[in-house]
Amino acid sequence: MAIEFQPRIVGFLCNWCSYAGADMAGTSRITYPTNIRIIRVPCSGRVDPLLIVKSFQMGADGVLIAGCHPGDCHYTEGNYYARRRFALLKPFLDYLGIESARFRVEWVSASEGKRWSQVVTSFTNDLTKLGPRKALAPEATR
Amino acid sequence: MSKYISKKDLNSWLNKVRDNRRLVAPTKVDDLILFKEISRVEDIVSDYVNTDLSPKEFLFPPTEVLFSIEKKNGGVELTPARVEKETVIFGMRPCDAKGVVALDKPFLEDPTDPLYKEHRDKTALVGISCLKACAECFCSSMGSGPDDPSGFDIMLTEVKDGYLVQVLTEKGKALLPDSTLSESGEAKPKAAEVATVPAKDVNVKLRQNFEDPYWNRLADRCIHCNMCSYVCPTCYCFDIRDYPNKGKTDRVRSWESCQSAGFTKIAGGHDPRANKGTRMRQRFAHKLLYFPEQFGVSHCIGCGRCVKSCPVNIDIREIIQDVQKLGAKGE
Amino acid sequence: MNETEQIRSKAKELLDSKKVDCVIGYERATDEKNARPMFAYNAKDADRLIFDQTCRHNLVRYLLNRKDKVTGIVVKACDSRAVNLLINEHQIARDKLFIIGVACPGLVKTDWNKPGDKLRDACQLCQQRTPVIYDVLIGEAKKVEPPADAYPDVAAMEGKSVEEKRAFWEKEFSRCIRCYACRQACPGCYCSECFVDRLDPLWVGIRIAPGENEMWNTIRAYHLGGRCIGCYACELVCPVNIPLSLLNRKLEKEVMKLFKFQPGLDPETPQPLATFQKDEKLGVAE
Repeated sequence: MAIEFQPRIVGFLCNWCSYAGADMAGTSRITYPTNIRIIRVPCSGRVDPLLIVKSFQMGADGVLIAGCHPGDCHYTEGNYYARRRFALLKPFLDYLGIESARFRVEWVSASEGKRWSQVVTSFTNDLTKLGPRKALAPEATR
Repeated sequence: MSKYISKKDLNSWLNKVRDNRRLVAPTKVDDLILFKEISRVEDIVSDYVNTDLSPKEFLFPPTEVLFSIEKKNGGVELTPARVEKETVIFGMRPCDAKGVVALDKPFLEDPTDPLYKEHRDKTALVGISCLKACAECFCSSMGSGPDDPSGFDIMLTEVKDGYLVQVLTEKGKALLPDSTLSESGEAKPKAAEVATVPAKDVNVKLRQNFEDPYWNRLADRCIHCNMCSYVCPTCYCFDIRDYPNKGKTDRVRSWESCQSAGFTKIAGGHDPRANKGTRMRQRFAHKLLYFPEQFGVSHCIGCGRCVKSCPVNIDIREIIQDVQKLGAKGE
Repeated sequence: MNETEQIRSKAKELLDSKKVDCVIGYERATDEKNARPMFAYNAKDADRLIFDQTCRHNLVRYLLNRKDKVTGIVVKACDSRAVNLLINEHQIARDKLFIIGVACPGLVKTDWNKPGDKLRDACQLCQQRTPVIYDVLIGEAKKVEPPADAYPDVAAMEGKSVEEKRAFWEKEFSRCIRCYACRQACPGCYCSECFVDRLDPLWVGIRIAPGENEMWNTIRAYHLGGRCIGCYACELVCPVNIPLSLLNRKLEKEVMKLFKFQPGLDPETPQPLATFQKDEKLGVAE
């Protein structure tokens, strides 16, 4: 029996909105795929593209960033900077041979538990169709 | 009369050598000529003077796992790296072979580096003498020469349609049996004319001028790109780090350079060579004074690769000339 | 008086009057064909200064080691943008500089002992031959007609399929020997602790492997997003000829498209990633 490919997703969730939203999905017993591994960060503005590319290098098939809606950032401006940063990163990832569909940014508030589960489900389905990402090997080049 | 092998026979021999060994030879990689493991003898270039990077990477790789550690069965298991295949490096020049002779000193003298020793024991060096010199090389001033056989197991000299052959070691004899060779009355061609630099006694002058402000001025333009150390056949600075690897830990050794800022930073934050000038002085003193004093061979073998690759033209030939001219100071 | 003579005369004037401590410029390299950076500390040194189409180094890098001293510096157009970048980022003070700007004819593709006569690819696409900041300008301000497509090289890469792009970069990055010459030559790379030097967490480390090489080159390019002033000294200095400008120019193109910003045109305008507009629509999570 063939084992269907299970994408491995790394999620960077801002502590105040998105992580709370994901938590709400949990307490409301809303199920969503377990492919996502969540890393809690204080703010989506903390996410350096270094973390995203490192996740891909370590074998992630998709990376999801979730933050507060623009205007609602707990630190007032963090997600505005994040928005600019990721707008620049997305076409760059595509240029490097990492399909831009593998990188997703969503604004999820603390009360949007259901929406969180929908986001993860749709991302997981898309990645399953896209297939695994062939990360470059950690072995020596020579 | 000398031993001889035709180009055709050489190619068949190389194909046989490739059978259960790694054959490394100069080949074209985009605009560069590099030593690479080759799968087809036709890929070996013949119209080159020397390669852009030195062949030291096959004895001392840029990145190498020294050993792996794993928690197993209630204890800790250490698995050292092993060199599986034998290697033949073909097409080396005499300067690079002299470079291997120099590199052997720090790695093989007591305490011996076991991984380098394994690489070294399992590698045969087959050289081709130089009939043409590069614009930047100066081997004859640094203890070598365009037809110097030291360090080789086999040395070839190109003549019409083939090569004159000198089999120099037991390893060479085992690799290229006498029966493969014929005899030739061809005269040995004239070796390349190599430029010279006034390197005699430069070590004395270096010691005398240790405190000279020359080194600070020279280092002004250095950008610490580490290129000189990486292209050099005899540089051997390295760094060691541990990396997690799926439940195991790999201890990895990688090339480093004494020219990087922070190379000499030690616990506590002290950095004896924080100043650019001191690092510059260290490089040339190591090459021309400390290493020859310690090991009896020159650490610069005059290949000129650093001259060619330094983006700001820090030129060891110019430095040797400058040092000779510096006034004698101090004890 | 040609550029070389004018630069020598200005440098001597600055050094003799002690207006500056040192003039950073170019002199002839030992192959007698190319140029190399030089530091002139007195009028005698200044007599060795030259300027020609082999003067490819970005000398602004050296200003970061001389923050407390008054320095004269020879800059081409792209280099002058680096000066603005460093002033903008509070790394150097304007009043500690005397900028000798040179209207640049473009650099030739050249190698050790093999000077070329064709213009560098980047210089062929250059839209600004005149320095944007200077105390004195040598040569005449030139107006360059902007080409119809300023980024044909980037467009060609963009047109490839995802798999082709992946394979292309894998091949290029496999040659990287992590000498960090690119970082060392770049005036924008001056972090006292680069992310590759960080041990805990270990982002990249010292191991030379395709994954690590990819991380190094791509993140360095990204950290220069909105900051790279387009001298491509990184590409010139790379010993294994990795086409680094292809990475930086993609980000330049995107920054221009998204934020209508070119780095280094003046020292005051805030960089795009250091600012924001509340209601902007950038195609992220909309």
